[in-house]
Amino acid sequence: MSLLEPALSAAALVILGTVIGYMPTRRIIAMREAHHELKRGSASFLRATAGWAVIAFWVMALWFGGTVVGDWVRLGDLDAALARSWLRLRILLEIAAAIGSD
Amino acid sequence: MPVAQSDLQCTACGGQCAYSPQREALVCDSCGTAHEIVVDPDIDATAETDHDALVPERPVSESGHAHRCETCGGTVTIAGAALSDRCSYCNGPLVRTLEDAGYPAMALIPFQLEAPYAAESARAWAARRVAAPGGLGASVAAGRIATLYAPFFTFDSTDLIDYWGTYTTKRGKRTVRRKKTGKFETDFDDLLVPASPHITPLIRDGVLHDFDPGTLRPYGPAYLAGFPAERHHLTVEEGLTAKKRDKDVLIRNRIKTHARRNLSNIGYRASTSGVRYRRILLPVYILHYEHGGKAYKIVTCGLHGKTFGERPFSHGKLFAYAAVISLAAVMAGIVYTLLGLP
Repeated sequence: MSLLEPALSAAALVILGTVIGYMPTRRIIAMREAHHELKRGSASFLRATAGWAVIAFWVMALWFGGTVVGDWVRLGDLDAALARSWLRLRILLEIAAAIGSD
Repeated sequence: MPVAQSDLQCTACGGQCAYSPQREALVCDSCGTAHEIVVDPDIDATAETDHDALVPERPVSESGHAHRCETCGGTVTIAGAALSDRCSYCNGPLVRTLEDAGYPAMALIPFQLEAPYAAESARAWAARRVAAPGGLGASVAAGRIATLYAPFFTFDSTDLIDYWGTYTTKRGKRTVRRKKTGKFETDFDDLLVPASPHITPLIRDGVLHDFDPGTLRPYGPAYLAGFPAERHHLTVEEGLTAKKRDKDVLIRNRIKTHARRNLSNIGYRASTSGVRYRRILLPVYILHYEHGGKAYKIVTCGLHGKTFGERPFSHGKLFAYAAVISLAAVMAGIVYTLLGLP
Protein backbone atom coordinates (compact mmCIF):
# COMPACT_ATOMS: atom_id res chain seq x y z
CA MET A 1 0.00 0.00 0.00
CA SER A 2 1.21 3.48 -0.83
CA LEU A 3 1.77 5.83 2.09
CA LEU A 4 0.76 8.74 -0.11
CA GLU A 5 -2.96 8.49 0.54
CA PRO A 6 -2.73 8.32 4.38
CA ALA A 7 -0.14 11.10 4.30
CA LEU A 8 -2.42 13.30 2.18
CA SER A 9 -5.34 12.48 4.51
CA ALA A 10 -3.26 13.43 7.53
CA ALA A 11 -2.24 16.69 5.83
CA ALA A 12 -5.88 17.45 4.96
CA LEU A 13 -6.82 16.71 8.57
CA VAL A 14 -4.18 19.14 9.84
CA ILE A 15 -5.35 21.85 7.41
CA LEU A 16 -8.99 21.36 8.40
CA GLY A 17 -7.97 21.33 12.08
CA THR A 18 -6.07 24.58 11.56
CA VAL A 19 -9.06 26.33 9.98
CA ILE A 20 -11.46 25.09 12.65
CA GLY A 21 -8.84 25.69 15.35
CA TYR A 22 -8.69 29.48 14.91
CA MET A 23 -11.37 30.14 17.53
CA PRO A 24 -10.31 27.38 20.00
CA THR A 25 -6.73 28.71 19.84
CA ARG A 26 -7.95 32.20 20.61
CA ARG A 27 -9.92 30.68 23.46
CA ILE A 28 -6.78 28.94 24.81
CA ILE A 29 -4.97 32.28 24.86
CA ALA A 30 -7.92 34.01 26.56
CA MET A 31 -8.04 31.24 29.19
CA ARG A 32 -4.29 31.49 29.79
CA GLU A 33 -4.58 35.25 30.24
CA ALA A 34 -7.55 34.76 32.57
CA HIS A 35 -5.60 32.24 34.66
CA HIS A 36 -2.69 34.60 35.08
CA GLU A 37 -4.37 37.97 35.23
CA LEU A 38 -7.96 37.80 36.46
CA LYS A 39 -8.86 37.72 40.12
CA ARG A 40 -9.17 34.11 41.26
CA GLY A 41 -12.75 33.09 41.97
CA SER A 42 -14.21 36.24 40.41
CA ALA A 43 -17.17 36.05 38.04
CA SER A 44 -15.02 36.92 35.00
CA PHE A 45 -12.41 34.32 36.01
CA LEU A 46 -15.08 31.61 36.29
CA ARG A 47 -16.64 32.68 32.98
CA ALA A 48 -13.32 32.80 31.13
CA THR A 49 -12.06 29.46 32.40
CA ALA A 50 -15.35 27.61 31.78
CA GLY A 51 -15.13 27.44 27.99
CA TRP A 52 -12.59 24.67 27.60
CA ALA A 53 -15.10 22.10 26.21
CA VAL A 54 -14.79 23.46 22.66
CA ILE A 55 -10.98 23.11 22.89
CA ALA A 56 -11.32 19.52 24.15
CA PHE A 57 -13.73 18.63 21.31
CA TRP A 58 -11.36 20.09 18.71
CA VAL A 59 -8.28 18.24 20.02
CA MET A 60 -10.21 14.97 20.54
CA ALA A 61 -11.62 15.08 16.99
CA LEU A 62 -8.13 15.59 15.56
CA TRP A 63 -6.65 12.84 17.70
CA PHE A 64 -9.43 10.49 16.58
CA GLY A 65 -8.78 11.34 12.93
CA GLY A 66 -5.09 10.66 13.55
CA THR A 67 -5.83 7.21 15.00
CA VAL A 68 -7.82 6.28 11.87
CA VAL A 69 -4.90 7.38 9.66
CA GLY A 70 -2.48 5.46 11.92
CA ASP A 71 -4.55 2.28 11.68
CA TRP A 72 -4.83 2.76 7.94
CA VAL A 73 -1.01 2.86 7.70
CA ARG A 74 -0.61 -0.12 10.06
CA LEU A 75 -3.32 -2.37 8.57
CA GLY A 76 -3.04 -1.16 4.98
CA ASP A 77 -6.83 -1.14 4.74
CA LEU A 78 -9.04 1.90 5.31
CA ASP A 79 -12.20 -0.18 5.91
CA ALA A 80 -10.46 -2.21 8.61
CA ALA A 81 -9.12 1.00 10.16
CA LEU A 82 -12.63 2.50 10.24
CA ALA A 83 -14.05 -0.69 11.75
CA ARG A 84 -11.42 -0.59 14.52
CA SER A 85 -12.16 3.07 15.21
CA TRP A 86 -15.78 2.48 16.31
CA LEU A 87 -14.86 1.45 19.86
CA ARG A 88 -12.59 4.48 20.26
CA LEU A 89 -15.35 6.70 18.87
CA ARG A 90 -17.82 5.35 21.43
CA ILE A 91 -15.40 6.06 24.28
CA LEU A 92 -14.68 9.55 22.90
CA LEU A 93 -18.40 10.29 22.58
CA GLU A 94 -18.90 9.28 26.22
CA ILE A 95 -16.09 11.62 27.24
CA ALA A 96 -17.57 14.36 25.03
CA ALA A 97 -21.01 13.86 26.59
CA ALA A 98 -19.49 14.15 30.07
CA ILE A 99 -17.63 17.33 29.07
CA GLY A 100 -20.72 18.72 27.33
CA SER A 101 -22.92 18.30 30.39
CA ASP A 102 -20.31 19.97 32.61
CA MET B 1 -20.68 67.34 47.55
CA PRO B 2 -20.07 70.43 45.40
CA VAL B 3 -16.46 71.23 44.65
CA ALA B 4 -15.31 74.47 46.26
CA GLN B 5 -12.66 75.98 44.02
CA SER B 6 -11.18 77.96 46.90
CA ASP B 7 -10.39 74.70 48.74
CA LEU B 8 -8.02 73.82 45.95
CA GLN B 9 -6.04 77.05 45.95
CA CYS B 10 -2.60 77.25 47.52
CA THR B 11 -2.66 79.26 50.75
CA ALA B 12 0.95 80.26 50.14
CA CYS B 13 0.74 81.71 46.61
CA GLY B 14 -2.89 81.40 45.50
CA GLY B 15 -1.95 78.95 42.76
CA GLN B 16 -3.94 75.92 41.72
CA CYS B 17 -3.34 72.70 43.68
CA ALA B 18 -3.61 69.12 42.46
CA TYR B 19 -3.59 65.86 44.39
CA SER B 20 -0.19 64.17 44.38
CA PRO B 21 -0.34 60.37 44.81
CA GLN B 22 3.35 60.33 45.70
CA ARG B 23 3.04 62.89 48.52
CA GLU B 24 -0.58 62.01 49.42
CA ALA B 25 -1.31 65.69 49.69
CA LEU B 26 -2.50 68.67 47.66
CA VAL B 27 0.53 70.12 45.93
CA CYS B 28 0.60 73.59 44.42
CA ASP B 29 1.32 73.58 40.68
CA SER B 30 3.06 76.97 41.00
CA CYS B 31 5.19 76.91 44.17
CA GLY B 32 5.22 73.19 44.98
CA THR B 33 3.94 73.64 48.54
CA ALA B 34 2.30 70.49 49.91
CA HIS B 35 -0.95 70.91 51.84
CA GLU B 36 -2.09 68.05 54.04
CA ILE B 37 -5.61 66.85 53.34
CA VAL B 38 -7.60 67.09 56.53
CA VAL B 39 -10.28 64.44 56.91
CA ASP B 40 -13.13 64.71 59.39
CA PRO B 41 -12.38 61.91 61.89
CA ASP B 42 -16.09 61.54 62.64
CA ILE B 43 -16.84 60.34 59.11
CA ASP B 44 -16.56 56.57 58.72
CA ALA B 45 -15.63 56.03 55.07
CA THR B 46 -16.22 52.30 55.36
CA ALA B 47 -19.83 52.73 56.54
CA GLU B 48 -22.46 50.97 54.46
CA THR B 49 -26.05 51.99 53.81
CA ASP B 50 -28.99 49.64 54.18
CA HIS B 51 -30.91 49.35 50.94
CA ASP B 52 -34.63 49.92 51.12
CA ALA B 53 -36.27 49.27 47.76
CA LEU B 54 -39.37 51.22 48.84
CA VAL B 55 -37.50 54.48 49.40
CA PRO B 56 -36.93 56.24 46.06
CA GLU B 57 -33.53 57.82 45.45
CA ARG B 58 -33.31 61.39 44.26
CA PRO B 59 -30.42 62.44 42.01
CA VAL B 60 -28.50 65.58 42.95
CA SER B 61 -27.63 68.12 40.29
CA GLU B 62 -24.16 69.60 40.10
CA SER B 63 -23.15 72.42 37.84
CA GLY B 64 -19.92 74.07 36.83
CA HIS B 65 -17.54 71.11 36.85
CA ALA B 66 -19.31 68.59 34.63
CA HIS B 67 -17.89 67.82 31.19
CA ARG B 68 -19.64 65.69 28.62
CA CYS B 69 -17.83 63.66 25.98
CA GLU B 70 -19.00 64.44 22.46
CA THR B 71 -18.11 60.91 21.30
CA CYS B 72 -19.40 58.48 23.94
CA GLY B 73 -21.71 60.76 25.90
CA GLY B 74 -19.97 59.98 29.20
CA THR B 75 -19.91 62.70 31.81
CA VAL B 76 -17.00 63.40 34.13
CA THR B 77 -16.54 65.94 36.89
CA ILE B 78 -13.26 67.78 37.01
CA ALA B 79 -12.27 69.44 40.27
CA GLY B 80 -9.73 72.20 39.81
CA ALA B 81 -7.86 72.69 36.57
CA ALA B 82 -8.54 70.10 33.89
CA LEU B 83 -5.41 68.17 32.95
CA SER B 84 -6.90 67.15 29.65
CA ASP B 85 -9.72 68.09 27.33
CA ARG B 86 -10.14 64.46 26.23
CA CYS B 87 -12.56 61.85 27.59
CA SER B 88 -10.93 59.33 29.97
CA TYR B 89 -13.05 56.53 28.55
CA CYS B 90 -12.90 56.95 24.80
CA ASN B 91 -10.43 59.78 24.15
CA GLY B 92 -13.22 61.89 22.60
CA PRO B 93 -13.34 65.68 23.02
CA LEU B 94 -14.87 66.97 26.28
CA VAL B 95 -17.13 69.98 26.47
CA ARG B 96 -18.30 71.73 29.61
CA THR B 97 -21.94 70.97 30.35
CA LEU B 98 -24.31 73.07 32.39
CA GLU B 99 -25.64 70.45 34.74
CA ASP B 100 -25.05 66.83 35.66
CA ALA B 101 -27.59 64.92 37.75
CA GLY B 102 -26.18 62.00 39.73
CA TYR B 103 -25.83 60.42 43.14
CA PRO B 104 -23.12 61.54 45.56
CA ALA B 105 -20.23 59.19 46.19
CA MET B 106 -19.73 58.23 49.83
CA ALA B 107 -16.06 57.37 49.74
CA LEU B 108 -13.07 56.89 47.50
CA ILE B 109 -9.59 55.44 47.47
CA PRO B 110 -7.12 58.06 46.28
CA PHE B 111 -4.59 57.42 43.54
CA GLN B 112 -1.44 55.80 44.88
CA LEU B 113 0.48 55.49 41.62
CA GLU B 114 1.69 58.16 39.24
CA ALA B 115 0.72 58.15 35.55
CA PRO B 116 4.22 57.25 34.19
CA TYR B 117 4.17 53.98 36.17
CA ALA B 118 0.72 53.17 34.76
CA ALA B 119 1.87 53.90 31.19
CA GLU B 120 4.89 51.64 31.68
CA SER B 121 2.69 48.93 33.20
CA ALA B 122 0.30 49.10 30.22
CA ARG B 123 3.23 48.83 27.77
CA ALA B 124 4.62 45.83 29.64
CA TRP B 125 1.16 44.20 29.61
CA ALA B 126 0.89 44.67 25.84
CA ALA B 127 4.40 43.27 25.33
CA ARG B 128 3.42 40.04 27.13
CA ARG B 129 0.50 39.28 24.78
CA VAL B 130 0.69 35.97 22.96
CA ALA B 131 -0.28 36.03 19.24
CA ALA B 132 -0.12 39.82 19.20
CA PRO B 133 0.12 41.51 15.80
CA GLY B 134 3.38 43.14 14.76
CA GLY B 135 3.62 46.77 15.75
CA LEU B 136 1.38 46.42 18.79
CA GLY B 137 4.14 47.73 21.05
CA ALA B 138 4.55 50.84 18.91
CA SER B 139 0.77 51.41 18.86
CA VAL B 140 0.60 51.16 22.66
CA ALA B 141 3.64 53.41 23.06
CA ALA B 142 1.89 56.03 20.94
CA GLY B 143 -1.26 55.75 23.09
CA ARG B 144 -2.58 58.37 25.47
CA ILE B 145 -2.97 57.74 29.18
CA ALA B 146 -6.04 59.13 30.93
CA THR B 147 -6.80 59.23 34.64
CA LEU B 148 -10.20 58.62 36.12
CA TYR B 149 -12.02 58.02 39.37
CA ALA B 150 -14.47 55.37 38.19
CA PRO B 151 -17.76 54.84 40.04
CA PHE B 152 -18.41 51.48 41.72
CA PHE B 153 -20.95 50.01 44.11
CA THR B 154 -19.95 47.61 46.85
CA PHE B 155 -22.77 45.28 47.82
CA ASP B 156 -23.16 43.03 50.84
CA SER B 157 -26.00 40.53 51.04
CA THR B 158 -27.01 37.22 52.54
CA ASP B 159 -28.62 34.67 50.24
CA LEU B 160 -30.52 31.52 51.10
CA ILE B 161 -29.98 29.19 48.14
CA ASP B 162 -32.33 26.32 47.34
CA TYR B 163 -30.78 24.36 44.47
CA TRP B 164 -31.19 21.27 42.33
CA GLY B 165 -29.11 19.62 39.61
CA THR B 166 -27.91 16.34 38.17
CA TYR B 167 -24.62 14.45 38.15
CA THR B 168 -23.39 11.27 36.50
CA THR B 169 -21.98 8.29 38.36
CA LYS B 170 -20.85 4.77 37.48
CA ARG B 171 -23.14 1.88 38.38
CA GLY B 172 -21.30 -1.25 37.37
CA LYS B 173 -20.43 -0.70 33.73
CA ARG B 174 -23.26 1.75 33.21
CA THR B 175 -23.15 5.50 33.61
CA VAL B 176 -26.27 6.73 35.37
CA ARG B 177 -27.54 10.24 35.97
CA ARG B 178 -28.73 11.16 39.46
CA LYS B 179 -30.56 14.14 40.90
CA LYS B 180 -29.24 16.19 43.79
CA THR B 181 -30.94 18.94 45.76
CA GLY B 182 -29.67 21.07 48.62
CA LYS B 183 -30.01 24.26 50.60
CA PHE B 184 -27.43 26.59 52.13
CA GLU B 185 -26.90 30.16 53.22
CA THR B 186 -24.10 32.21 51.72
CA ASP B 187 -22.79 35.74 52.23
CA PHE B 188 -21.52 38.17 49.64
CA ASP B 189 -19.16 40.72 51.11
CA ASP B 190 -18.04 43.85 49.29
CA LEU B 191 -18.99 42.60 45.83
CA LEU B 192 -17.70 45.31 43.49
CA VAL B 193 -20.09 46.32 40.72
CA PRO B 194 -19.06 48.89 38.09
CA ALA B 195 -21.52 51.78 38.11
CA SER B 196 -20.41 52.90 34.69
CA PRO B 197 -20.98 51.25 31.32
CA HIS B 198 -17.35 52.01 30.45
CA ILE B 199 -15.77 49.70 33.04
CA THR B 200 -16.74 46.14 32.18
CA PRO B 201 -16.79 43.33 34.78
CA LEU B 202 -13.87 41.73 32.84
CA ILE B 203 -11.72 44.83 33.29
CA ARG B 204 -12.78 45.10 36.95
CA ASP B 205 -11.66 41.53 37.64
CA GLY B 206 -8.43 42.18 35.77
CA VAL B 207 -7.35 45.28 37.66
CA LEU B 208 -9.07 45.18 41.06
CA HIS B 209 -7.71 42.09 42.76
CA ASP B 210 -7.27 43.41 46.29
CA PHE B 211 -10.06 45.76 47.26
CA ASP B 212 -9.62 46.69 50.91
CA PRO B 213 -12.49 48.81 52.32
CA GLY B 214 -10.11 49.86 55.10
CA THR B 215 -8.28 52.12 52.64
CA LEU B 216 -11.43 54.08 51.75
CA ARG B 217 -11.39 57.81 52.51
CA PRO B 218 -14.45 60.04 52.92
CA TYR B 219 -15.34 61.62 49.59
CA GLY B 220 -13.68 65.01 49.29
CA PRO B 221 -12.83 67.33 46.38
CA ALA B 222 -9.17 67.54 47.45
CA TYR B 223 -8.53 63.97 46.29
CA LEU B 224 -10.16 64.75 42.95
CA ALA B 225 -8.08 67.83 42.24
CA GLY B 226 -6.47 67.26 38.85
CA PHE B 227 -8.25 63.94 38.27
CA PRO B 228 -11.53 63.59 36.36
CA ALA B 229 -14.22 61.61 38.15
CA GLU B 230 -17.37 60.06 36.78
CA ARG B 231 -20.35 60.63 39.00
CA HIS B 232 -22.70 57.83 39.99
CA HIS B 233 -25.58 57.87 37.54
CA LEU B 234 -27.13 54.49 38.36
CA THR B 235 -29.73 53.95 41.07
CA VAL B 236 -29.02 51.21 43.61
CA GLU B 237 -31.74 49.12 41.95
CA GLU B 238 -29.91 49.46 38.63
CA GLY B 239 -26.68 48.49 40.41
CA LEU B 240 -28.36 45.40 41.83
CA THR B 241 -29.59 44.48 38.34
CA ALA B 242 -26.04 44.88 36.98
CA LYS B 243 -24.80 42.65 39.82
CA LYS B 244 -27.22 39.82 38.94
CA ARG B 245 -25.14 38.35 36.08
CA ASP B 246 -21.98 38.15 38.17
CA LYS B 247 -23.83 36.86 41.21
CA ASP B 248 -25.43 34.10 39.13
CA VAL B 249 -21.97 32.80 38.11
CA LEU B 250 -20.72 32.97 41.71
CA ILE B 251 -23.82 31.23 43.13
CA ARG B 252 -23.54 28.40 40.58
CA ASN B 253 -19.91 27.94 41.55
CA ARG B 254 -20.80 27.88 45.27
CA ILE B 255 -23.56 25.33 44.54
CA LYS B 256 -20.98 23.01 42.93
CA THR B 257 -18.73 23.41 45.97
CA HIS B 258 -21.62 22.79 48.37
CA ALA B 259 -22.90 19.75 46.45
CA ARG B 260 -19.37 18.25 46.30
CA ARG B 261 -20.37 16.89 42.90
CA ASN B 262 -19.75 17.99 39.36
CA LEU B 263 -23.36 19.12 39.02
CA SER B 264 -24.90 20.01 35.68
CA ASN B 265 -28.35 21.34 34.71
CA ILE B 266 -28.20 23.47 37.84
CA GLY B 267 -31.27 25.44 38.87
CA TYR B 268 -31.76 27.45 42.04
CA ARG B 269 -33.97 29.86 43.95
CA ALA B 270 -32.24 32.61 45.93
CA SER B 271 -33.81 34.55 48.74
CA THR B 272 -31.74 37.70 49.27
CA SER B 273 -31.76 39.74 52.45
CA GLY B 274 -29.64 42.31 54.26
CA VAL B 275 -28.56 44.28 51.19
CA ARG B 276 -26.10 47.02 52.12
CA TYR B 277 -24.18 49.19 49.73
CA ARG B 278 -21.60 51.91 49.28
CA ARG B 279 -21.18 54.32 46.40
CA ILE B 280 -17.46 54.68 45.92
CA LEU B 281 -14.91 55.96 43.43
CA LEU B 282 -11.83 53.92 42.55
CA PRO B 283 -8.78 55.24 40.72
CA VAL B 284 -7.86 53.85 37.32
CA TYR B 285 -5.56 54.82 34.50
CA ILE B 286 -6.86 54.10 31.00
CA LEU B 287 -4.38 53.93 28.14
CA HIS B 288 -6.11 54.54 24.80
CA TYR B 289 -4.44 53.24 21.70
CA GLU B 290 -5.33 52.47 18.12
CA HIS B 291 -4.22 49.50 16.08
CA GLY B 292 -5.36 48.62 12.58
CA GLY B 293 -7.83 51.50 12.67
CA LYS B 294 -9.58 50.16 15.77
CA ALA B 295 -9.59 51.75 19.23
CA TYR B 296 -8.59 49.71 22.30
CA LYS B 297 -7.98 50.47 25.97
CA ILE B 298 -5.70 49.08 28.64
CA VAL B 299 -6.70 49.80 32.23
CA THR B 300 -4.26 50.01 35.15
CA CYS B 301 -5.45 50.12 38.75
CA GLY B 302 -4.32 53.33 40.40
CA LEU B 303 -3.72 51.46 43.65
CA HIS B 304 -1.51 48.45 43.00
CA GLY B 305 -0.79 48.72 39.29
CA LYS B 306 -2.62 45.57 38.15
CA THR B 307 -3.24 45.90 34.44
CA PHE B 308 -5.74 44.38 32.04
CA GLY B 309 -7.28 45.47 28.80
CA GLU B 310 -8.33 44.97 25.25
CA ARG B 311 -5.97 43.66 22.61
CA PRO B 312 -5.99 42.70 18.95
CA PHE B 313 -4.87 39.29 17.68
CA SER B 314 -2.66 38.44 14.73
CA HIS B 315 -4.68 36.17 12.42
CA GLY B 316 -1.48 34.66 10.99
CA LYS B 317 -0.08 33.79 14.43
CA LEU B 318 -3.41 32.31 15.57
CA PHE B 319 -3.51 30.07 12.48
CA ALA B 320 0.14 29.12 13.07
CA TYR B 321 -0.57 28.11 16.69
CA ALA B 322 -3.71 26.23 15.54
CA ALA B 323 -1.59 24.42 12.91
CA VAL B 324 0.99 23.35 15.52
CA ILE B 325 -1.70 22.05 17.91
CA SER B 326 -3.54 20.30 15.04
CA LEU B 327 -0.33 18.65 13.86
CA ALA B 328 0.51 17.52 17.41
CA ALA B 329 -2.98 16.06 17.95
CA VAL B 330 -3.03 14.21 14.61
CA MET B 331 0.52 12.89 15.15
CA ALA B 332 -0.42 11.73 18.66
CA GLY B 333 -3.32 9.77 17.15
CA ILE B 334 -1.11 8.22 14.46
CA VAL B 335 1.62 7.24 16.95
CA TYR B 336 -1.02 5.85 19.34
CA THR B 337 -2.27 3.31 16.79
CA LEU B 338 1.18 2.59 15.31
CA LEU B 339 2.18 1.45 18.82
CA GLY B 340 -0.65 -1.10 18.56
CA LEU B 341 -2.75 0.44 21.31
CA PRO B 342 -6.54 -0.25 21.16
